[in-house]
Amino acid sequence: MICYNCGATLTHNDFCTNCGADVARYKKIVSTANLLYNMGLDKARVRDLSGATESLRQCLKLDKSNIDARNLLGLIYFEVGEYVLALNEWVISKNLRPTKNIADDYISLLQDNPAKLDTYSQAVKKYNQALSYCYQGSLDLAVIQLKKVLSLNPKYVQAHQLLALLYINDEQWEDAKRELNRCQKIDVGNTITLRYLNETRNILDMDDGDDAFSPGGLDLKGRKGFGDQKKRDRDTADSYSIPVIRKENRTLATIVNVAIGIMIGIAVAYLLILPARISAAREGVDESLKATGEQLDAKTAQISSLEQELKSVNGQLEKTKEELEVYTGESGKMSAMDDLLNAVNSYLENPEDTKAVAEYLDMIDEEKLAETGESFNTVYLLMMSKIGADVGSQYYDSGMKSYQAEMYEDAIKDLTKAYTYDNSNGDALYNLGNAYRKSGDIVNAVETYNKVIEEFPDTEMATRSQQYVNELNVD
Amino acid sequence: MINFEEELKKFHPSLEIEEAEDAIYNQDLTDIADLLVGLVKEDKESASEDKQ
Repeated sequence: MICYNCGATLTHNDFCTNCGADVARYKKIVSTANLLYNMGLDKARVRDLSGATESLRQCLKLDKSNIDARNLLGLIYFEVGEYVLALNEWVISKNLRPTKNIADDYISLLQDNPAKLDTYSQAVKKYNQALSYCYQGSLDLAVIQLKKVLSLNPKYVQAHQLLALLYINDEQWEDAKRELNRCQKIDVGNTITLRYLNETRNILDMDDGDDAFSPGGLDLKGRKGFGDQKKRDRDTADSYSIPVIRKENRTLATIVNVAIGIMIGIAVAYLLILPARISAAREGVDESLKATGEQLDAKTAQISSLEQELKSVNGQLEKTKEELEVYTGESGKMSAMDDLLNAVNSYLENPEDTKAVAEYLDMIDEEKLAETGESFNTVYLLMMSKIGADVGSQYYDSGMKSYQAEMYEDAIKDLTKAYTYDNSNGDALYNLGNAYRKSGDIVNAVETYNKVIEEFPDTEMATRSQQYVNELNVD
Repeated sequence: MINFEEELKKFHPSLEIEEAEDAIYNQDLTDIADLLVGLVKEDKESASEDKQ
């Protein structure tokens, strides 16, 4: 305890040893405040929060600097859902004692959890709104709002009490009792709760004791233990009527209620359970469809992959066939080698029969010569050198005969071979150009004449060829 | 019996968070100890005036 005058610590004396101020009365005030704090603490321990609140308030009226009392009062406000009052007490407490104060922890707990603080704030706002609805007479809206409040903060005693009052007003006694019991679990000593609960219990007791009621109304005199109720209602009995309860009506009501209950049950089954089952079944089907779809997609992808693979394999097969054709086809390498061997064989058997040799050599495609090996080319050129001039001469003669007979197709064929076997035969090339020209094949004619000009320049044939080329180009 | 209208008057709006600051500033924190100190001070002042 410190001196109110100088702040020095007081001793057992009735005066301050520091400044000499009389502290006898001050000590008594502080002692009484401590006593009230202890009472408040005891009440709080047995959950008589209303009683504790009252004691602690008195304590603080005597001694505002009783930090423990203020912190405990804040805790009690917090417990009954009055967060702002709780914060008020803790903030004041912290101001009075800035250090080593548990109120600091309480404030931090609230401030560090803004979501929770927002929930509390919402609950208070909704409670005030519900109260406003009550004042306006919108009691149904008030009930709805209070239910929301209690879902946000189930320990909000005032909200429970107001909801209970609304239930009592609506004669929903069981609901009122349930709310009041919840109140009592939070605060056992709240006089409002106790009064409402007592009222509700009395009404419910009257409902259970049918025998004590006359058909026309409530017989208060015949009821045991109703003395308190009677006494309390004496003042207000004139303005209130007690519900008339008839046994036969209750039986009928019970039957009707059961029937309604069954109907509601069936309705619930059709409206809630059945759609839920259908929905679940649909979900199952959807799931299986989805799984099947996924499998189908996987199979399709696999088929596509296999098709691609097949296509690739077919491509490789075609390529291999083509490669094989190069070797084994009519104009393939193997065939060319056979023809060359036959030509050589024919030449060895009868070197004079150049035409037979030429037949075999003719069968060799010149384009394939480049693809064959060096030895093949050497043998081919050797054979050509052996028989080329002779065969070329034969073909030239034959071609000229056909040319003169105006059989230009045969002439073109023979003269082409004549030049192939003997590429020094400029006449064969020149006349081949003439044959093309006369047969109307201008493109090949010009090409052939140009070849004459290139291969045999400064010759009569070249001059003529140039003339023909000029003429044909003009045309 | 409970009179709903009368009972309803006993319920008051709870303080909202926005009102907390005003509530703290406006709270009367005067306690009995303050009154006692005031009384003692007044006694001393009146005694000194009497002496003068």
